[in-house]
Amino acid sequence: MLHFILKRLLIIIPMALLVVTVTWALIRVAPGNFYSTEKKLPAAVEANIRKKYGLDKPWYQQYGIMMLNIVKLDFGDSVRYPGQSVNEIIRRHLPYSATIGLLAYILALIVGLSAGIIAALKQNTFWDYGSMAVAMLGLSIPNFVLGPILVLIFALGLYWFPPARWGGLSALVLPVATLAAIYAAYIARLTRAGMLEIMRSDYIRTARAKGLDEKTVLLKHALRGGIIPVVSFTGPALAALLAGTVVVERVFSIPGLGNIFIQSVLNRDEPLILGIVAFLSILVMLFNLLVDISYGFLDPRIRYE
Amino acid sequence: MKASLLLRIVAGFVVTALTSALLVGCGAAGGGASGRYFGKTVPPDDNVLRYVTGSEPESLDPQFVTGQPEARIMMALYDGLVEYHPKTMEPIPAIAESWELSDDGTEYLFHLRKNAKFSNGDPITARDFVYSFRRALSPELASRNANLAYYIKYSEAYNSDQSFVRDANGQFLLAKDFSEDDGDAAAEQTTHATLGADSEFHRFLDSPQRLTVPSAEKDRNKLLEKDPKLKAALEGKELVPVRAEDIGVEAVDDYTLRIKLHQSAPFFLGLLAHQFFRALHQPSIEKFGKDWLRPENIVTSGPFKLAEHKPYDVLRVVKDPNYWDAANVKLAGINYYPMDEQTTMQNMYKAGHLDATYNHTVPAAWNETIRQYTAEYSLHPEVAIEYYSISVKKPPMDNLKLRQALSLAIDRDALAKFRKTGKPSADFVPLGIFPNYDVARQKVFGEELAKQGSSLEEWNTRKFDPEKARRLMTEAGFPVQGSSGSFSCPTFPVDKVTLTYNTAESNQRVAEFVQAQWRQNLGITVPLKNMEFRTFLPYRSAVEYHGIVRNGWIGDYMDPFTFLNLFYSQQNDGATGWWDPKYDKMLDEANLEADDEMKRLEMLARAEFYVMQQQIVIPLQVPGTSWMKKPFVKGMYPNPGTLHPWKFVYIEKDPNKWTSDMENIMSENDPAVIQQLDQLMATQEQFKRAKESETTAVAAATTSER
Repeated sequence: MLHFILKRLLIIIPMALLVVTVTWALIRVAPGNFYSTEKKLPAAVEANIRKKYGLDKPWYQQYGIMMLNIVKLDFGDSVRYPGQSVNEIIRRHLPYSATIGLLAYILALIVGLSAGIIAALKQNTFWDYGSMAVAMLGLSIPNFVLGPILVLIFALGLYWFPPARWGGLSALVLPVATLAAIYAAYIARLTRAGMLEIMRSDYIRTARAKGLDEKTVLLKHALRGGIIPVVSFTGPALAALLAGTVVVERVFSIPGLGNIFIQSVLNRDEPLILGIVAFLSILVMLFNLLVDISYGFLDPRIRYE
Repeated sequence: MKASLLLRIVAGFVVTALTSALLVGCGAAGGGASGRYFGKTVPPDDNVLRYVTGSEPESLDPQFVTGQPEARIMMALYDGLVEYHPKTMEPIPAIAESWELSDDGTEYLFHLRKNAKFSNGDPITARDFVYSFRRALSPELASRNANLAYYIKYSEAYNSDQSFVRDANGQFLLAKDFSEDDGDAAAEQTTHATLGADSEFHRFLDSPQRLTVPSAEKDRNKLLEKDPKLKAALEGKELVPVRAEDIGVEAVDDYTLRIKLHQSAPFFLGLLAHQFFRALHQPSIEKFGKDWLRPENIVTSGPFKLAEHKPYDVLRVVKDPNYWDAANVKLAGINYYPMDEQTTMQNMYKAGHLDATYNHTVPAAWNETIRQYTAEYSLHPEVAIEYYSISVKKPPMDNLKLRQALSLAIDRDALAKFRKTGKPSADFVPLGIFPNYDVARQKVFGEELAKQGSSLEEWNTRKFDPEKARRLMTEAGFPVQGSSGSFSCPTFPVDKVTLTYNTAESNQRVAEFVQAQWRQNLGITVPLKNMEFRTFLPYRSAVEYHGIVRNGWIGDYMDPFTFLNLFYSQQNDGATGWWDPKYDKMLDEANLEADDEMKRLEMLARAEFYVMQQQIVIPLQVPGTSWMKKPFVKGMYPNPGTLHPWKFVYIEKDPNKWTSDMENIMSENDPAVIQQLDQLMATQEQFKRAKESETTAVAAATTSER
């Protein structure tokens, strides 16, 4: 087990560097630069800028300098926001995304799991059809539509919650609900399917035959196996949620990492793009590892050698 | 999978469309109850304006930032020699309480007020401006705005790392001896009476312009190869780098600042209100290095100071009690929310979380509804022009008649009606922004047209004349066949012409409209191509495109020259590949005319006529401001640049005094604003009167002596 974890952790490093290299190459291949504006820059001014940012050096030198700094975990300063380091920017904006992400994750789990379990237990009843219909709706309405609809009703119609921006609990309600909807729907469907399958399996029949009460069968045996598909879905989903979701953060003007990420790409802010990409890739790989580890605990049939 | 994705996208669009329709409907209905206002309309209790100014500011360094979103923040944090007039954007006194200009227009003398202070209480003196200007132009700062200051003597040489050339006798080589053109405006500049006390440095600035060459050997050799005369002259001479201390800015004493230009630039005073020229605090910048902008370190000079900066969330400024005019600053503070999502912004505005928005922020789909709120919606002309540039060096666009035909075949009135937010324009310098220039242009164009046997009436049809367009097409060698409704032009090489624009819904709408006009009126179908913004910019400025490209310009200052300058010099910003020394000379000569404003404007108009005859660009429209403010926000005017001097802005609690009619707000006489303006203008007016009476007295004395 320990060996497995160590091996996986070691792979993360070259993988992250590879991701950074590919990203860097893509940025460099794309025409355009971070400093141009609607106004044409005089040659002298452009030369000053290129010198200041080391763009007058040959590309392999620039690549070498960048990689060396990244290995030292220093992504340098943003070129769009001079004086602000990439590390500082990520540290500053991650908590916003993580807050709504975590809240949305918890909300999605609560709603999704309960809806899924109820639907599975009361299969082919009104409860089943009802919750699955709502889940279907949740899956098919993209969040860039759901967000504005919620804003329309609750912020502009009823004036209950602010329509956008960070600040206070009331401002969290709409973005968290928007973000959670699709995940809750997914989780509900996965839970239902997983539970239905498990309920028919041999070991549940054994458990029942042993004379265990229905509650123990359900919570101790069925649920553990039933939510394995949910876990493999929510692992990477949690990574994505924590790291910021572009659409919801844009719609609600939340200063999270997703918002920053999209802006950094539009601004061609190379150090910031590389920093966020490296951070996200490591995060996703770590969460995948966590998911794999948790399988071992959830399902005794899975073993790592 | 694909089908379901497509279905989702389609469904998404339908729902979005429905939502926005609903949203707008709600607005109208909700407004119906209380009547005239859009959404919640309650003045903030704490006297803090809640404003949105566009995306997150790049920096709080006024010399580094270039965008309008930043400019509106810099105007709160920093004060300059002059400030923009809240309605006209003409320069009004700020830290300089008065100023004078030499007869030849190359020298300004500013008299600073003695009570101006930085936010930490340090006095603001002429030396602070000298420091600020030198820093602004330093190659190390690498400011993208540096060329705004290139009118200051030797500033371009310093910014682009050049050197003077000194011979063995210690004499410097002079620019005029190497100028290709005998009539070089800079070299011809006459001498003038010194303003203020003379000094050695001033005599250096006043001496003829020295020759400068690139300090870097590689760049210098490139230049010398092209110019053997220069190469010979440089042989064995010493190069002396141009330093920060050489640029034409001088503190005559603590409260007198002298600025020397290398040639007269009558618009320069207006340029000085730009954030690039505002006062910075040397000790804190030198002490903290790149950290001087952190909230705990920053020292500012404006009516407001920084209270809090949470990037991408809020930037809060509060009134600075140390500001010299603090008595007239009415707001307790401003909250700037960095936001560029138009719908989010409008939601915030409607829900009463925002008091005002910035220009071009009303989504096209909302326009019909929003414009009914006449107490809140501003649609005023901007000091800007939207146009298409033409790549004039590449066939078939090297054909003048073809270019003229393309321009004539666009129905600009219909385009403006379709866009809803602009005024049709076939002129390059926007109409209705510079009233005196409009008069001069009318006169000059009339004269020039008469010379060609044409008339203003005929000229005025250039906004749309499909008949003539087809005739010109045919004359250009691309005969248009067919009759009304079904024209065709088979010989036109559509494969060599593209209409390129940067990806944005509004750009696409215009491009499609123009494409349809050309198809309908000329029978040609020009392919469209869109490009991501940052890919597009260098592609356009290097004139890599074939055919036509979207372009636009927002004036840097309130003078027609800011537009005409776009085609000036070989490295001009018109993105057309066109350059004509004759045009440069026309502009130079106009700017030498420092005394007679009308005469100068007529000369500029002649230059505009000259360049428009070449039809290197196709002007389309003068954009409108299109933004909203709550009726209780007063002293905030839809000026041509949407740049608001914040000390005039205030919150009016009394609904009887609220803005009721945005359309006529420019002619509104708000006593609070007028009094404040009169007070500010008084110093310069008094100074001018005193100067005039002095001159008359001198004149009288001279006469009586005779």
